[in-house]
Amino acid sequence: MTPTALEPARGEVVRHVAIAGNPNCGKTTIFNALTGLRQKVGNYPGVTVEKKTGRFFGSHGEAMELLDLPGSYSLQVRSPDEAVARDVLLGRLPGVPRPDVIICVVDASNLERNLYLVAQMLELNIPIVVALNMVDVAEKNGVVIDLMALREKLGVPVIPTVGTKGVGFIELRQAVSRSPLPAPAICAQMPIVLERETMALARQLPVAPEVARGEALLLLTLHDEALDAIAHHDRAIIDATRAAQQRLTASGIDPLSAPVDARYAWIGQVCAAALHKGGAHDDASISDRLDSWLTHRVWGWVAFLGIMALMFFCIFTVAQYPMGWIDSATAGLADFLKDKMPDTDLRGLLTDGVIAGVGGVVIFLPQILVLFFFLGILEDTGYMARAAFIMDRLMSKVGLHGKSFIPMLSSLACAIPGIMATRTIENRKDRLVTILVAPLMSCSARIPVYAIMIAVLLPAASGFQKAGIMLSMYALGFIAAFGMAWVFKKHLFKGDTPMLLLEMPPYRMPSLRGVLQRMWERGLLFLRRAGTVILALSILLWALATYPKPSDPEATPSEAIAHSYAGQMGHAIEPLIKPLGYDWKIGIGLLASFAAREVFVGTMSIVYAVESEDENTEPLRDTMRAEKHADGRPVFTPLVCLGLMVFYVLAMQCISTVAIVRRETNSWRWPLFQIAYMTGLAWLGAFIVYQGGRLLGFQ
Amino acid sequence: MNPLLDQFAVAALIGGALAFFVVRFLRKRAGGKSCGGGCGCGTTKPVKPGQN
Repeated sequence: MTPTALEPARGEVVRHVAIAGNPNCGKTTIFNALTGLRQKVGNYPGVTVEKKTGRFFGSHGEAMELLDLPGSYSLQVRSPDEAVARDVLLGRLPGVPRPDVIICVVDASNLERNLYLVAQMLELNIPIVVALNMVDVAEKNGVVIDLMALREKLGVPVIPTVGTKGVGFIELRQAVSRSPLPAPAICAQMPIVLERETMALARQLPVAPEVARGEALLLLTLHDEALDAIAHHDRAIIDATRAAQQRLTASGIDPLSAPVDARYAWIGQVCAAALHKGGAHDDASISDRLDSWLTHRVWGWVAFLGIMALMFFCIFTVAQYPMGWIDSATAGLADFLKDKMPDTDLRGLLTDGVIAGVGGVVIFLPQILVLFFFLGILEDTGYMARAAFIMDRLMSKVGLHGKSFIPMLSSLACAIPGIMATRTIENRKDRLVTILVAPLMSCSARIPVYAIMIAVLLPAASGFQKAGIMLSMYALGFIAAFGMAWVFKKHLFKGDTPMLLLEMPPYRMPSLRGVLQRMWERGLLFLRRAGTVILALSILLWALATYPKPSDPEATPSEAIAHSYAGQMGHAIEPLIKPLGYDWKIGIGLLASFAAREVFVGTMSIVYAVESEDENTEPLRDTMRAEKHADGRPVFTPLVCLGLMVFYVLAMQCISTVAIVRRETNSWRWPLFQIAYMTGLAWLGAFIVYQGGRLLGFQ
Repeated sequence: MNPLLDQFAVAALIGGALAFFVVRFLRKRAGGKSCGGGCGCGTTKPVKPGQN
């Protein structure tokens, strides 16, 4: 049967649905629950804001494209993130269709504040379905919402939901599937003079008639500077807006605050009819009680450090078993190939290049999954905002505010989302400082380097001791980030310390499904990277460590690798790294890991595997421990291991981060500056550890 | 295994790895000229930090 206009082809998207709402209202939980794994992450054209889309099916099986908009409090934007949400809703963004329906997620426990965005959305002439989320939390807080009254006052469908438990999703799908979905008929009543000016300006705007009023109202509420910065309208429109603003001021109406006042007056009426707060609670809520401990000036720090210590302890103990299995599997595969294949270059490439290189990195997958499990739980429970709050005092000492700490915390997973998260920082100088220091926070790619160095340094230590060393490396990253932020704010980007305005979401039970989904996504991303970039790099590194072969057929593997291109490169940088206690083989690792830190481990696996005369595959840790200089001294002494860890805490060594900094700052100046200062800092740090340690009599 | 075939397989793998990076670079470059997002959208320049 051929599809007709009313009956779309199978799988064809029939409706574009945007999901919008305030930050922390549960938007992403609803998005994840509706779309499952049918998600796609990209970028909005023209800006570097992440675009998350997914497909879901309506109540009749019709395919719909769901777009997760960045969280925003209003359409009067303050950050690039909020600008994207506004532009999508107004249909301004090329390549992104104006949504046919908006699912406006509203936090039921904070209805009054969330209704401001709803009030603005109702002015946009797009059909809206309100998802009244977290009704369970509202109920617990004694908030009673009269649904019928709320539906009547808003004039749009209102569906109560509990995103974390999947409550209300069937009704939500049904509401979005309804056809036809009428545009909202009710919105906040503006003063008559303002309404007249808005409609007059709307008629002049070269936009679709259905968005003209909303667009005109937004233009009228812009101050002079913001009007000057507008690039998407002609000068004539800007002049007309200014003239309208002057006429409004002359008639006693402030164009900037009048629409806001009108919306709040309307919200007041809606809440008076639909919102009933139960008997006042004398006891502090559980969130408040928890906050009195977790944001306490002493206990808050104890809790923060305790949580971090527990996380690293689990990274070492829980992940140990699956790591052992992966290690045995890769060693078994390499031994199998060595048994079955003749000793040729191809066998060398497969066992010493591909298996040693990729296996050397993949082994750390369990530790990375444990890290993301913890980060997911901390995010879902709402603890991240508390961590930013307790850090604010420290951050203000270096001239930044707690908001800058959230991108830095995200950088614990990976500097890329961390740097992208700086888009929520309004001040340009503060944003640049945060971008410059965020890669100093230890990301998950450093885990393989720390883990192997700790294993070489303390092979028989307990999980607690290993976790302690790893925690101190993370602490060093924090200290370096704060110290450099202070230097930059003091000398490079002088400015006042901004005040922190941070929303503390109530504590919530984390959704296991959401946490596992994020672990799955991150694990897949790590494996994809191992199967593509690291696989290709491993092959090239093996080639560099194998060719050219020495002319003497009797040459030992050590002489052969010294003669190779990689060996020559290692020797070339040896004078630079000798003061750090490193030999030319470590130099190869440092050079190769400029692309990505974790490549260091794979490179060392390849270098030692190519050099090894042993037919059985030894764990890298044992090979490194046995490695000796020509004079018989061990290469990986405690000072060298510590120095290497310090080097990787401070060094940039990530080409993807360089690319993202280039993209976010729209210039090569900052990423190049960042590479220079971080590499210098890393060298200095490793030098102080090695030479300072030797001066104190350590090895 | 035939030594020629062995050398050919090694060369193919190394060539493939090199080609991977060249294609990756060219694709990024094509995307980067637009928004820098690597999506090949062919639209406007990215915003500077703090400007909206």
